[in-house]
Amino acid sequence: MTVLLEGLTVIGPAGTMVEPVSAEIAPGATLALIGESGSGKTLTAKSIVGLLPRGFRATGSVTVAGQALPVERPGDDAAWRRARGRSVSLLLQDPFTSLTPVHRCGDQIAWTVEAAQGHRLPRGARRAAVEERLAEVNLPARVADAFPHELSGGMRQRVAIAAALASDPQLLIADEPTTALDASNQAEILDLLRRIQLERRLSVILISHDLGVVRGRTDQVLVMRGGQVVERGATAAVLAAPEHPYTRALIEADPVVAARSGARIAAEEAAPSEVEPLLVCEGVTKAFGVRTVLDQVDLAVAPGAIVGIVGESGSGKSTLARCIAGLEREDAGSIVLAGSALAPGRGSRTPDQMQIVFQDPYSSLNPMMSIGAILSEALGVAGRASSEVPGLLEMVGLPAEFARKRPAELSGGQRQRVAIARALAPEPRLLICDESVSALDVSVQADILALLARLREEIGIAILFISHDLAVVRMIADSVTVMWDGRVVESGPCHEVLEQPAHEYTRLLVAAATRENAVPVEGKD
Amino acid sequence: MLAARVLGVLGVLFVLSIIVFAMMYLAPGDIVKNLLGNRPANPDVVAAVREQYRLDDPVVVQYLTWLKGFVTGDFGESIRLQVPVAQAIGDRIAITAALCGLAFLVSVIVAVPLGVRSAVKAGGWVDRAGNALSILGLSAPTFAIGLVLLYLFAYYVPIFPVYGGGDGGLDTLRHLVLPAVTLALGLGAIIVKLTRTAMLRELESDYVTFARSRGLGERMVRRIALRNAAIPIVTGASLVLTFLVGGTVLAETTYALPGIGTLLQDSVLFKDIAVVQSLTLLVAVVIAVIALLADLAYLLLDPRVSRTLGARA
Amino acid sequence: MSDIRIIGAAPATRRRRRVPVGVAIALGVLALVVLAAAFGNLLFDEAMRQDVLSSTLPPGSPAHPFGTDELGRDVLQMAVAGTASALVGPVVVAIGSMLLGVILGTLAGYEKGWLDTLIGRWTDLLLAVPVLLAAIVVSGVMGGGYWVTVALLVVLFSPSDIRIVRAGVLEQSARPYIEAAQMLSLSRWRVMFRHILPNVTSLVVTNMMLNVAFALVAFSSLSFLGVGVAPGTADWGRQLTDGRAIMFQNPAAVFLPALLIVVVAVCVNLVGDWIGQRLSQVGEEVR
Repeated sequence: MTVLLEGLTVIGPAGTMVEPVSAEIAPGATLALIGESGSGKTLTAKSIVGLLPRGFRATGSVTVAGQALPVERPGDDAAWRRARGRSVSLLLQDPFTSLTPVHRCGDQIAWTVEAAQGHRLPRGARRAAVEERLAEVNLPARVADAFPHELSGGMRQRVAIAAALASDPQLLIADEPTTALDASNQAEILDLLRRIQLERRLSVILISHDLGVVRGRTDQVLVMRGGQVVERGATAAVLAAPEHPYTRALIEADPVVAARSGARIAAEEAAPSEVEPLLVCEGVTKAFGVRTVLDQVDLAVAPGAIVGIVGESGSGKSTLARCIAGLEREDAGSIVLAGSALAPGRGSRTPDQMQIVFQDPYSSLNPMMSIGAILSEALGVAGRASSEVPGLLEMVGLPAEFARKRPAELSGGQRQRVAIARALAPEPRLLICDESVSALDVSVQADILALLARLREEIGIAILFISHDLAVVRMIADSVTVMWDGRVVESGPCHEVLEQPAHEYTRLLVAAATRENAVPVEGKD
Repeated sequence: MLAARVLGVLGVLFVLSIIVFAMMYLAPGDIVKNLLGNRPANPDVVAAVREQYRLDDPVVVQYLTWLKGFVTGDFGESIRLQVPVAQAIGDRIAITAALCGLAFLVSVIVAVPLGVRSAVKAGGWVDRAGNALSILGLSAPTFAIGLVLLYLFAYYVPIFPVYGGGDGGLDTLRHLVLPAVTLALGLGAIIVKLTRTAMLRELESDYVTFARSRGLGERMVRRIALRNAAIPIVTGASLVLTFLVGGTVLAETTYALPGIGTLLQDSVLFKDIAVVQSLTLLVAVVIAVIALLADLAYLLLDPRVSRTLGARA
Repeated sequence: MSDIRIIGAAPATRRRRRVPVGVAIALGVLALVVLAAAFGNLLFDEAMRQDVLSSTLPPGSPAHPFGTDELGRDVLQMAVAGTASALVGPVVVAIGSMLLGVILGTLAGYEKGWLDTLIGRWTDLLLAVPVLLAAIVVSGVMGGGYWVTVALLVVLFSPSDIRIVRAGVLEQSARPYIEAAQMLSLSRWRVMFRHILPNVTSLVVTNMMLNVAFALVAFSSLSFLGVGVAPGTADWGRQLTDGRAIMFQNPAAVFLPALLIVVVAVCVNLVGDWIGQRLSQVGEEVR
């Protein structure tokens, strides 16, 4: 029943993408593949189910319970039909796109059952099979009649798990199965997977960029970088005593590790209470149609302070940031910056008041403009000359020749640095970072956080740091405000809120961030 | 939303009816002379025409009288054919409907599977041939295709009749083959392109990867993707419709079919205003109705839209 | 992680760097056609056009390789003479409707509000009328001639440009780089024309090229129906219509202009698709 990978190699149009990978996974055991984007972990997964993109091929062998998978023949549908589903299934990252939107959830599960059995089922048996699979993932039978859009993200991922396992495979590959979910859903899905795995004696390959997901839930780990396995071993041992410098860097950069050790990137500064705050929001309220997204929100940011706002998607944290920036108009409440009240909307605001750094580094720079043109324009707004572009680049840690490049030539982290430079050009009083590091790899995240901390030290800019990731906020913010369902549920100095959370919701977030509720694997961790 | 759509369509038709009515005044020359055509202009006839079109009343009254006539089926008199417009249209509508229906059927039956196959084996020979064919079909005017087919199959290898609508039944069908194929080539080109683009996008999506990884057969995967692609394909139906209207006029003219298209062309050249007005507005009504039906189909095809609709209602 | 979508154009199956053979040939053909439009008449003796033979000759004779038409005029010479009329109208229509599309589409997409509603209703209205039908009816009933037809087609073609530009602008203006521009309090004109417009250029240019092909087909269709071009004018559609009467004596009188229309339309389509793909790759990522 063991799963064996031997010399599995992925070759792309530009040469070898993944160097030979070998591993053995016992029934009921989990192998973790960790690495950042571009490390080859997803290609490895796709090669095992024969779904490599056009132009890619694989060599080597994969054996599941004594049966070899046709990994060297990616286009051979006939050969793969017997293997896919019954031997191996793949669970994808995003439950919002992995289910077809126009078919009912029950049908999508039933297809797998029918494909595995090789024939269509009569109505009654089909219904019964679907309900049994839904029960396994703790979903009620009525979900069978729902369309995916009628379910929450967490429920969709459960449906996807049920569909992936409905063919009773021996190996499940889960490719970042919780990355697209909110923190409170993540743990539930991981624990559900773990429980089903133990019940079924299922071998699992868990792919993740997130060490926290891997910790306590996997037995073996392969650390991949640039298509190569740089370190391997028992998960607990590797995480406790990494040998390869890259693994060590990954672990150090991991916010969870930092959160556990209490390490910080920025020195924590207590806001001097006698200083007048730079930004004061009082009773800010905003509704989209009938839905209230901000309900009487109060917030204060002292000059030179880093204030974190934490909450899950839909908590209203981004809307608050956008109201402060004037990109949304609040319905009620006041926003006062440096003593003067700001009217809703951009009309009354000037670039030197506040700037935003957005989440997605790939769409926050105009692809048709050079970096130099982007920065000159931002400098020009404040009446500064284009000759200051090199200085600005240097400030964010980029060489001056980047001015000639276009955004497409830059990595995600470099683009985010340019976005920060653009935001700094008009010399704003307040910098708003709206999930500015969420789309970046962990090691890059740490660099950007360090840059922000340094900027605060050097130019004394105040930063409003918005994130869904408590662990990241903990590393940089002086004080933190927790938002839930459009309201502020808790706020105070960072260490107080995170160490003695008063609100139940904050406790849930803190637990999710430090993965304290993870099911330990046979006491190894 | 649907009610708003219906109101919007009614609004569009209302504005169009004003423009179409104004055509009578835009046509160069004296209105009465235009309305008389080549009938002798003695005072009695002139008076009758002025009375019929209420030319002595304010323009608004003229328009309302005309619109009332149109809505109640009284389209006026064709000065060229000397028969009521309704009769002239009634005599010809069957052959045009048969032509359009046939062409539509042929193009859908051929083009949808071709589009699916092109997308599934993107870059393969079927795809390349389909692509070449659809570029040709989009670039070649209907009449050019028509003339080539006419020369080949009616003159060079005479297996089909050259001109005319035939004597009804099977003979008419035989007469319709070449025009229908001509029209179907252009229609098919659009449908192949729509289907291919939509299918390519769907086949790249995550749910297809997920379905394959669970062991679903390729036929099943294609069915699922096509069901999703149906939404953009049906949305593109408006393109097909506008092409069909112009194409029908050209195909009928090329093959001298006695249908609505040739009636329109002859009436335009003869400045038979009553017929032109009625046909233009009729076509606009038909297009509006079909566009509404396409919207309805869209609602049925996409559960996401139907649900938000239900929530709003 | 985040994959970058290619804006507009259908997903390319393969990324091409060099000019593909088909496109190179199409470019060559188009260059030749433009030359013919400009200088074609120099190749022929003007007198030949009013040939006194007044009889239809089949193709193949050395003096008239494509034969003569019903008035005894040389078919090839008539075709060359018709090139200008075949090109000018469609190009003017495509550029005119593109300009309308860019201005109205950008305003509708970026300003939103009542302006968007108004422009939206206008395009709804125009889209409810099939182009060819409207052109036949209006130019046919009003008379008018070539330039009235050109103006009419500019208006009738514009809704597709407006919609495409509007959709592109809407998509772009939701992106963070536009919000970043707003954070710099740049003027709306600067945001619209310096930031958004360059990013929808590929859509605009592709659609413009497609419109040249469509307009060429529309013009020749109108001439074929006897609308838009005065009888006797050197024009491919007209030539083809007149040639139908003698199609069985000299098929070249019909098929030469028909072939020219198809070839030029195909070439414009090919070049348009290719330009669209190239432009959409500028600034896109190679990942």
